[in-house]
Formats: sequence, structure tokens, C-alpha cells
Amino acid sequence: MLLFEKRETVSTKLKAAIPLVSVFLGLVTGAIAILFTRTNPIIVYQALVKGAFGSVYTFSETLVAAIPLILISAGLIVAFRMNFWNIGAYGQYIIGAIFGSFFALNMPATMSRPLLLTIICLAGFLGGALWGLIPAALKAFWEVNEVITTLLLNYVALYILKYLMYGPWRNPESHGFPLSKPFELNAQLPRLLPRTRIHFGIILGIIAVIIVYIIIKKTKFGYEIRVIGENKRAARYAGINITKNIFIAMAISGGLAGLAGLAQLSGVIHMLQIEINPGYGYTAIVVAWLASLNPIIAMLISVAFGGLEAGGYQIQMAIRVPFGIVGTIESAVLFFLLGGEILKKYRIKLRRNIL
Amino acid sequence: MNVTATSILITLLATTVRSGTILLFPTIGEIFAERAGILNLGIEGMIIIGAFFGFVVSYTTQNPYLGFVVGMLAGGIASLIHAFISITLRGNQVVSGLALTIFGLGITSFYGQKWINNKLPESIHAVAIPGLSKIPFIGPVFFKQDYIVYFSYILVLVMWLILYKTKPGIHLRAAGQNARAADAMGVNVNATRYFWTFFGGLMAGAGGAYLTVAYATFWLEGITAGRGWIAVALVIFAMWNPVNALIGAYLFGGIDALQFQLQASGTTIPSSLLSMQPYLLTFIIIIIATLIVRARHLGAPKELGTPYAREEK
Repeated sequence: MLLFEKRETVSTKLKAAIPLVSVFLGLVTGAIAILFTRTNPIIVYQALVKGAFGSVYTFSETLVAAIPLILISAGLIVAFRMNFWNIGAYGQYIIGAIFGSFFALNMPATMSRPLLLTIICLAGFLGGALWGLIPAALKAFWEVNEVITTLLLNYVALYILKYLMYGPWRNPESHGFPLSKPFELNAQLPRLLPRTRIHFGIILGIIAVIIVYIIIKKTKFGYEIRVIGENKRAARYAGINITKNIFIAMAISGGLAGLAGLAQLSGVIHMLQIEINPGYGYTAIVVAWLASLNPIIAMLISVAFGGLEAGGYQIQMAIRVPFGIVGTIESAVLFFLLGGEILKKYRIKLRRNIL
Repeated sequence: MNVTATSILITLLATTVRSGTILLFPTIGEIFAERAGILNLGIEGMIIIGAFFGFVVSYTTQNPYLGFVVGMLAGGIASLIHAFISITLRGNQVVSGLALTIFGLGITSFYGQKWINNKLPESIHAVAIPGLSKIPFIGPVFFKQDYIVYFSYILVLVMWLILYKTKPGIHLRAAGQNARAADAMGVNVNATRYFWTFFGGLMAGAGGAYLTVAYATFWLEGITAGRGWIAVALVIFAMWNPVNALIGAYLFGGIDALQFQLQASGTTIPSSLLSMQPYLLTFIIIIIATLIVRARHLGAPKELGTPYAREEK
């Protein structure tokens, strides 16, 4: 039987080893899953790595996929630190994209580009923040379970998007396809490097990471959300205003997810449509958790996971391996990580049954 | 009411029961897992795993009942990942459940691609119960269903009895309310939690398998469409009581059936707004249910989501 002995201290080596080993074992699990389809996993992984990091262009696509992950995970970290389970980045991303698109599609093409981009970025942030504040208010006032509310609102957001795309926002010239009018140049975030799709969103992401880092490490708010996350009752006794903190945290968390959605449209897709990749909202949860809720590490992991996403699309197109393998690997990594975290708290020894 | 209107209503309500059955199994399962102290947010993942295995086995063996059983077992096996992480390794149950959901959606999309657009040659058919099915109105709604629906009626009753009237019921409630006291009573807390988490997985698998072998009879990526999350919400709506779960599941089955019927009838209401209704209504209901639970001090099992560490006194 297993014996658990409490650990007093955790070495940095162990702290770093757990996520690294988890990623490795996650890839092994993915390989086993691939074997069942009578495909050689080594070939699949080679193609995946090549599709993610093999050339300047594929690496640039990895960075393009990393942008929404960086923005969303930075926001999720704020919420998760206070134990507020925001599973709603998917919906906040969509609503942010819709809010931003409203201005992108309705402002005159002659408007100055920096001004319009500022407006749509603010609108994207605002949209996501408002969508995030609904579950925040329900939690703060009535203690309604935020896992369920944020998740259900994801579906509501998706159907709002579908409604707009099949209805009032559909471009009459799109031959019946559910697409909006294309964004004019003044509503497109600038591309940073020629012949790649890397856009200004990456700079927004880096700024967001720095701001979140400062907020959680250096401000009273950062300290308070940590106390709330660790022990809500103690926080209340200490006179911390929990309601206010939930609102601020979810405005940031939802806002950054909304900004990510808008940046994806304005930087990459250049129109509103039904498929705008909100699934990044779920992947970012894995990223945040893998980074132990540290925004700077999350940024690095976002690049690695951006590679997994970009490479996943490549292998689907090149060698017809379904994209589902990406989710399988991501979840396996998360399982190993969660299981491995026990090593931080306990030494585990195997004891032969003496009974 | 004229004859046509009555027959439309009966069809609608009979569909309600079948659509509700998809939700009923997972809701019952999660009630018992949560009562024992384990929060499993992986229901959506386990349902779709059950749906996929149920479909594939029914398709290849042409035996939908075998498909149902295998789908159910597949959900049970998937739940053991969550059980191991949250019980033995004392990991974070919220994140582990989410991981299970991502896993189920990922793995079924990975293996399921080649099954898309296949239709089952043989699905589960309705069998009218002699006598009971002749009762006006009630008969055709409740007693002209298939064996799995009848199984679900019995299940609700049996599970209610187990929960409130038997020793295992007392034990599992104790494990979720106060694990240390349960341990002192001689209950093996972790074994109890393993068992009921596995039961929760079986039930999620059953709901998923019912979806593909009896309700839809085809396979589609993401065919569960968030039903797992509606089931998680229904647990609160049901206030952790299996009989209330039946009411909740049929209520949402009804909304689903109604919006589907409306879409089929060629209404002018945009289909995306109709498809939104089950989620929007669950959202509203969960708020109301939370307020009621709070006002009546019913609350969740006290140690829900808390791992039990026996050696730490």
C-alpha cells in the first residue's frame, strides 16, 4: 500500500520537474492513442514538430496561435488565483469579438487607423469583461456556482454569434455564407513581420502579461485575491472586500479573453464568422495550470501550446491525423500534472502490505 | 382539444421522456458521486465517451443493447482516472474533471472522425407495456418507450431507496458530509468514494450511449453538445435527490424536444435562438435553484471536493 509522508519544503528542481515530466508523459499517452489507429506515432510527432517549429513560417504560425493563449491565460491566472473558476473564456472571447466587430464594421473606412484600433480593442475588452461580470455578480451576491454559469454562458455566446452570422450581420454579398463584411484596413491590427501573420496582438499580450504580473505580485489587490483563494473565511475576517475583488478579477479575466477574441479577428481573420477559434479559451486553462498560475511562465507555455495547435492543424491537413489528438495530449498532460502535484505535498513510499 | 393537437402533444411528451433520459442517467450518477464527496466535472467527457463506444459497438455488432452496456462501462472506466487523481492522489477535483471533459471530447473526435455520417443499422425500439400503455395520455407518453427508459424508471426508485433507506446510503452520505466521522463509524471513505465515482461514470456512459443507440442513432463530433454541463446544473436543481433529478431531466428534455419540434415545423424564429434555449433556461434555473437551496439551508454535501487524508489528525 502507499504511504504518504508530509513534506516540509519543496525543492525548485522538483517544482520544475513535475510539469516537464507531465508534458513528456502526456506525449507518450498521445503516442499510445495514435498507435491504436495503426499509425506510427514517431512519424506523427515528427510532422507535428515540423509543422510547429520546422521553418520560419511555421514558427510564425505557432506564435500566431500563441497570441490568444497568452492573453487568455494571463486573465485566467487572475481569476484562478482567487479560486474563481472562470471556465467561460470561450464565451468571453466570442462576446469580445462581437463587441469589437460592431465598431470595426460600422465606423467609416476613413477614420484614423490608430483611433479605430484603440476603439475596437477597448470594445473587445469591454465585451469580454461584461460577459465575465455576469457570473461574477451571481457568485458575489448569491453564491451561484461559477463553473456552471460560466460554462452555460459559453453556449449562449456561441448561439448569439450564430444568430448574428445567419441573421442581421451576414454580408449580403457572401452568397448565403455566414460571414460578415470584411474589416477595412483601418480596423486591422498591423502585421509585424512581412510574409507572416504575426500581428500587433503579440505586443498586447506581452503588455498584458507584465501588467498581470505586477498586479498579482506588487499590489494590494494581488495580495487580497491570494488570501481569498487560500482561505475565504480568513479573508473575510481580515476585512477584505470579497465582492469588490471578484468583480475586478473577473473584469480583467473576461476582458483579456475578449481582447484575445477581438485580436484574432482584427489581426488574423479580418471578418466575423462562426469559426473564430474560441476553443483557445479551454486550452488556456491547461496553460495557466501548467504554469502554476505564473503569467510569465504561462507566456512561454503558450508558445509551446501554440506549437501544438499549429502543428495539430498541419498534421490534420498533411497526413490526415484528426485534430482531436491535440485535446487528447493536452488533457493527458493535465492529468499527469494534477497527479504529480501530490509529490509537492507528500513523499510517497511503497509499503508491502503487512496485514 | 381536438384529436390532432392531442396526438402532437403526446408525441412531444414522449420525445421529452426520451430526451430527458439522456440527462437523467448522468444526473443520477453525479448526485451519488457528489453525495460521497467527489465533484466530477468530467460528465460531458464521460457522456461522449459512452456515446462513442455505444455507437461503435452497436454499429459493428448490430446489437444496440450490447452497445449500451459497453458505452456504460466505457464511461465507468473513464471515471476511474478522475477517481484516482482526486481520491488517491488528492488532486484538484475541479481541474481534473475539466481535464476529463477535454479528454473525452478530444479522444472521441480523434477516433470518431471515420464514423461521422454513419447511421446505425439497428437501434433500440419501443416496446409497449401491456395494460399500462393503454392508459389514456399517460400510457403512450410513459409506457410506449424502450427498455432503457423503463430501466431508468426503476433506477430512480431503487437509487432513492438506497440513498435514504439503506446502510450503503448512510455510509455514502456520511463520506460526503463528514469523512472523519464516517471513518470513525467504520466506513472505508476512499473505497466508498471510488465506488460512487465509478457509478457516476457508468451512469454518464449510459446517458451517452442512450443518446447514440436510441435517440440520435448516428455519430457526430461533439454530439453531446454540452448536455454534461446541463446535468451538472441539474444536480443542484435536484438538490441532490434522485427523484427531483427525474423532474429536472424531463423539464430540460421537454425544452429540447420543444425547440427541436419548433425548428422542424419551419417557424420564423431563428434556429440559433431556439437552440440557445436549453442553455439559457438552465442558466436561469440554476440561479433560482441556488437561491432556494440557500434559503432552505439544503446546501451541497459539506465535504464535496475535499480529499480525505486519513493520516492527518
